[in-house]
Amino acid sequence: MRLAFILSEIGGGLRRNVSMVVSVILVTFVSLTFVGTAGMLQMQINQMKGYWYDKVQVAVFLCVDTSTSPTCASGPATDEQKKNIETLLDSAAVKPYVTSWAYESQPDALNHFKEQFANSPIVDSVTADQLPASFRINMVNPEKYEIINETFSATPGVETVIDQRQLLERLFSVMNIASLVAVGIAGLMIVCAILLIATTIKLSAFSRRRETGIMRLVGASKAVIQLPFVMEGVVAAVIGAVLASGTVWAVAKFFIQDYLADQYKDTAFISANQVLILTPGLIVLGILLAGVSSLLTLRKYLKV
Amino acid sequence: MIRFDNVTKIYDQKTRPALDSVSLEIDRGEFAFLVGASGSGKSTFLRLVLKEDHATRGAVYVAGQNVANISSWRVPKLRRGIGVVFQDFRLLPNKTVFANVAFAMQVIGKSRDIIRETVPEVLKTVGLEGKENRLPHELSGGEQQRVAIARAVVNKPAILLADEPTGNLDPTTSLGIMKVLDKINQNGTTVVMATHDDDIVNSMRKRVIELRNGVVLRDEAKALYTSMIPVVQAAGSDREPSAEAPE
Repeated sequence: MRLAFILSEIGGGLRRNVSMVVSVILVTFVSLTFVGTAGMLQMQINQMKGYWYDKVQVAVFLCVDTSTSPTCASGPATDEQKKNIETLLDSAAVKPYVTSWAYESQPDALNHFKEQFANSPIVDSVTADQLPASFRINMVNPEKYEIINETFSATPGVETVIDQRQLLERLFSVMNIASLVAVGIAGLMIVCAILLIATTIKLSAFSRRRETGIMRLVGASKAVIQLPFVMEGVVAAVIGAVLASGTVWAVAKFFIQDYLADQYKDTAFISANQVLILTPGLIVLGILLAGVSSLLTLRKYLKV
Repeated sequence: MIRFDNVTKIYDQKTRPALDSVSLEIDRGEFAFLVGASGSGKSTFLRLVLKEDHATRGAVYVAGQNVANISSWRVPKLRRGIGVVFQDFRLLPNKTVFANVAFAMQVIGKSRDIIRETVPEVLKTVGLEGKENRLPHELSGGEQQRVAIARAVVNKPAILLADEPTGNLDPTTSLGIMKVLDKINQNGTTVVMATHDDDIVNSMRKRVIELRNGVVLRDEAKALYTSMIPVVQAAGSDREPSAEAPE
């Protein structure tokens, strides 16, 4: 009986100020969409890290004719210098950090180059001589790149040591900034949502002060009096959270999964279903948002 | 049933107390009028009984319990034992007579069956049978007040507080309301009624507690609105519970 009564009170409250409820739904919807987007970006970064960190290598490029580095003063790398590097790679100082390494000769490099830039006219003007030979090193832990760098960058015949991870880091930092921006906007919108929910509850409590006054007099418990108001905000916020989850899912599905993943086949993208794990989080966040702000408001405006 | 022990209530330090060292006791089943001009402390008295306010000094006992010791989450329980009626009825305008009375039972979680059984009984007690489906604006003032009384007593409180219940009604209608209150009192409910309607007080011949500037001016059994004894008595000190004539 009491449950049915409270439910009917909630329904009545929602009907009574539809416009405020709609605005609460919209504001929580927008704010939680930004929260969800930030979460999605982080998931994408993790996905890419997992995918690429297995594949990234440290490349030790050897000198070619045109090299200007001091270690290349004696011209293109000699076979002896190459042997020296191989010995170093197998030495006790380096070996524990390396899972495997491979030598990529200049003709190999040209082949790779042609594959990568198959659609570009630049391919025709490049010859094997222009591309440096390199040692491709897979590391046990890619973060230990400095060890390879220190060992080889001063070795004669080595032009430069490149950590492919650094190229990715740049991409990741851009994505991290984007997700921080999303979190920032989300924070701002959440403040809006809290204030709006507080105002809605305040209005609702005012328009129903007659009922609540009578409820107090006949000895209704605090829960029975306050719950309908709290639930009004919570219901609106949950609807907003569900809409936000739907939007984030739609972005993941139609933009990332169907478009980006199709366009960039060699990159790991998150799938739309992975994004769904954000939904409970968004809903809980919505409930907390509405619940806390309405309880605080009620303490002030609805004496029991 | 209600006992005030040297109760002082100060709303604002700069003004005189709303109640000043008031001591009195109202027994179970008694009918007491609280009379006095506006600002004499009648409403403050009722608010203290309901724990809407707390006494600045002294103790208020309701049903043997010091209300100061009732924690805030148990206040609703205290209020379930007290029915309240106001001058302005305070009905819900969009609910029928039945729904207005049922509301008081719904919010404390009574079952639908009990509500369906109890509400018509109470409406009959206050003389409103056959008007269950009217809306408040379709009723006269007297009938609206009867609905308010029905709502106040539907949960069978031990105490009924009435704050100028006839203030908005003409003398004939008021008399009808008094009959209802008397009937409720005879069923065992303690009734405390604040009023300045001298005709009613005089016709009822019940206990009269007169307040002036927050002090009990007189407290007489079977009394009239104006004092029959010209001597001003000290607040509550003269009265023994045995001197009362319970109805």
